[in-house]
Amino acid sequence: MRAWTWINERTGAGKIWEALFARKIPEAKGWVAWLYTLGSASLFVFTIQAVTGALLAMNYVPSPDHAHDSIRFIESQVFLGSFIRGLHHWGATFMVVLVALHMLRVYFMAAYKYPREATWLVGVVLFLLVMGFSFTGYLLPWDQKAYWATMVGANIAGQAPALGSYLAKILKGGEDLGAATLARFYSLHVLVLPMTIAVAILAHLFLVVWHGISEPPLKESNKGD
Amino acid sequence: MEAKKWHREYLERYQRLKEAGLPFFPNTVFKDTLVAFVIFALLAYLAWTKGAVLEEPADPTDNTYNPRPEWYFLFLFQALKLFPGHLEAVAAVVLPGMIVLGFILVPFLDRGPRRHPLTRPLGLGLGVVGLGVYCFLTWKGYSSPLTNPIVEKDPVILAGRRLYRDLKCSYCHKVSGKGGTAGPELDKVAGEETEAWLISHFKNPQQMSPGSTMPVLNLLDDEITSLVAYMKSFGVGSYTPEAPKLFAENCSACHMINKQGGDSGPDLSLIGSARDKNFLKKYVEDPSQMNPSSAMPGFQGQLTDTQIDDIARYLATLGQ
Amino acid sequence: MEKETGQDALKVSRRSFLGWAAGLMGAAIAAILGGSGFGYFISPAFKKREEDWVNLGRVDQIRLGVPTKAEFTVRKRDAWMTTERRSSAWILTSNGKDFTVFDPKCTHLGCPYRWDEATKKFLCPCHAAVFDVDGSVVKGPPPRPLDRYPVKVSSGRILILPLNEQRKT
Repeated sequence: MRAWTWINERTGAGKIWEALFARKIPEAKGWVAWLYTLGSASLFVFTIQAVTGALLAMNYVPSPDHAHDSIRFIESQVFLGSFIRGLHHWGATFMVVLVALHMLRVYFMAAYKYPREATWLVGVVLFLLVMGFSFTGYLLPWDQKAYWATMVGANIAGQAPALGSYLAKILKGGEDLGAATLARFYSLHVLVLPMTIAVAILAHLFLVVWHGISEPPLKESNKGD
Repeated sequence: MEAKKWHREYLERYQRLKEAGLPFFPNTVFKDTLVAFVIFALLAYLAWTKGAVLEEPADPTDNTYNPRPEWYFLFLFQALKLFPGHLEAVAAVVLPGMIVLGFILVPFLDRGPRRHPLTRPLGLGLGVVGLGVYCFLTWKGYSSPLTNPIVEKDPVILAGRRLYRDLKCSYCHKVSGKGGTAGPELDKVAGEETEAWLISHFKNPQQMSPGSTMPVLNLLDDEITSLVAYMKSFGVGSYTPEAPKLFAENCSACHMINKQGGDSGPDLSLIGSARDKNFLKKYVEDPSQMNPSSAMPGFQGQLTDTQIDDIARYLATLGQ
Repeated sequence: MEKETGQDALKVSRRSFLGWAAGLMGAAIAAILGGSGFGYFISPAFKKREEDWVNLGRVDQIRLGVPTKAEFTVRKRDAWMTTERRSSAWILTSNGKDFTVFDPKCTHLGCPYRWDEATKKFLCPCHAAVFDVDGSVVKGPPPRPLDRYPVKVSSGRILILPLNEQRKT
C-alpha cells in the first residue's frame, strides 16, 4: 500500500486511471456493442506491426543488392523469422480491413457529427497514413511484386496535373526506381510514418476520451431535436 | 442559432447517458481484449500456416511478369482499365483524390442532428452504393484473366542463376548464345553431366576435367547446390527425329515406352527421371559394365557413337 | 486582470518582447531546419540525368519486320551503388537501315509489355492494353503510342539513348 501511495504521489497514476479507465461511457446494447471494438482492434494490430516491424528491421538491409537476400535470410535462417514476417504481412492486411470497418461504423452511425468532427478528420489522416505504410512497405522485399507495384504507384503519382513528374521523381528519389527509392521508402516506412502516426493516434485517442465515445444512435430520440 | 440549440441539447443528453453508463473498465476493456485475442489467434494462424510470399528478386527487364496490386487496391487497378487514353489521369489521380476529399467533407456536409442511418437515407444510400461499387470493382479485378502465363520457377534454380551472374561466369561461358568462349557452352553440355560430377567439378575443376583453366571458386555447399540445379535446368541437348526410330528398330522388341513395345526388358517410360544421359549412353554401349546380370546386348559397334548418343539423349528426356 | 499601472505596462512590454523574441527564434529554427530538410527531401525532382548512348548490337543481327527484344547492360550509378543495370528495348526495322526502338514500358503505367507472335501485337499484362507493331494503341487505356528512344546507327551498330521521362504529347 505504501508503495502504491509513493508511486501515485509521484506519477499521478490514480488520476490517469480514473480519467482513462474508470470513466463512464454510454452503454451500447447487443451486437452493436461489438462494433465499438473496431477502433481498439486497429490500435492492437498497430502495436503488433510496431513490434514485428522492429524485429524485422534487425535483419533487414534496405539496399537493392541485399534487400531480397536479407528477407530470404529472415525467412530461412532466423529463428521464427518466417512467423514474425508472416505476422507483419497479415497484420498489414488486417490493419487495412479493421480501419476500413471502423470508418464504416462511424460513417453509418454518423458519429462524425457535432462535437466529434475533429476526431473524424484525424481519423481520415490515420487512414491515409495506413495507406502510406502499405505502399511504402510493399517495396521493401524488393521482389518482382514489390518492384512493379511501386513502379505503377510512382507512375500514378506522375499522372497528377502539373507537378506530376516532379512528384514521381521525389517519390522515387531520382529518375529511376532504384537504391535511392528503396532507402527513401524504408525511411518513410520505419521513421517518418511511425512518428507521424504516433502523434495522430494520440490526438485521436485524446479526442475520443475528451468527447466520450459516441452513443449508439436511436431512431426516435433524435427526431425532434 | 438553431444549430447551437441542438448542440447544447445533445451535450446535455450525452451527459445523462454517460452518467447512466458503465465504466470503461472492465466492461469495454473486456470486449476489446476478447476481440484482440480472436484477431491475434487468426493472425498467428495465418502467419504460421500461410506466411508471407517472397517472389523472385525484382527484375526490371522481365516482361513476363503479371503485376497485380494488393487486393484492397484492386478496385483502382480495375478502375484504371475503364478510363481510356487521355482520361487516365482521372482514374489515377482525380478518383482517389475525390474519395479522400469526400471523407474530409463528410462532417461539414452532413451537419443535422439525425444520426441513425435509417433517418439519413442519402448518407445510407451513398455509403451502400460506394461500398457496392468498391466490392464489384474488386471482384472484377480479382477475376480478370492474367495476360501472361504464370511460369513456375524453382527458387533453387533462380538462386543458381543469380550466382552465375554474380560470379561473372559469362566472361568465359555461353548460355543461350551469350557469353565468353574460353569455357564450354554450358546449356549444351552441363545438363548432361550427373549431379555428383557437377558438384565435384565445382569443387575442383581440374580433378574432373584435367587441363581445365576454370578457377577453383571455393563455393559454399548451398551455392554449389544452386549452381548444379541451374546447370541441370538446361536439360539434355535435344535429340534428333532419328532417335525414336532407332529405338523402335533396335530396342522396342524388349522395352516399352508409353505402353508400346515388348515386356522382356524394363519399361523405360520414366527412365529419364532416374538416369542421366551419360549413364544411359554407357549402358547402351555395354550393359555388362554397369549391370553384370543384365541380359541386354551391348550396342557398341552395332550402332555408331552418334546414334547411341542420340538414343541416350532421347531416353534421358523420358519422364522429365 | 489587474489594472495596468506604469510598472505593469513596462512588464507587459517586456513580456511581449520576450514572446516576440521566442517566436522569432523559433521561426528561424523552423525555417532553416524545415527549409533545408524540405530541400533535401525534394532534391531528386531537380536532378539532371546523364545521357549516354547505349550500344544495342550490330545492325545486321536484327530480323526484318519482326520486333526484336534487345537486352543491354548499362553500367551506371544508382545512388551509392554502381550497378550493371540490365534493361531492354524493342527494335523494329523494315529495311535494315532505319530503326525504331521502343521503350519497353507500356505508356499507361509502365508495365513491361511483350510481343505476341500469334496476334502480331504488343500485349501489356497490367490493364490489358494492346499496341500495334508500329507502337500505336489498338485497345486499352494507354494515352499515347509506345515511347521511342532516340536512335542512331554508327559504324554498323545501333545506338540508343534510353531516357526515362514520360514524353507527353
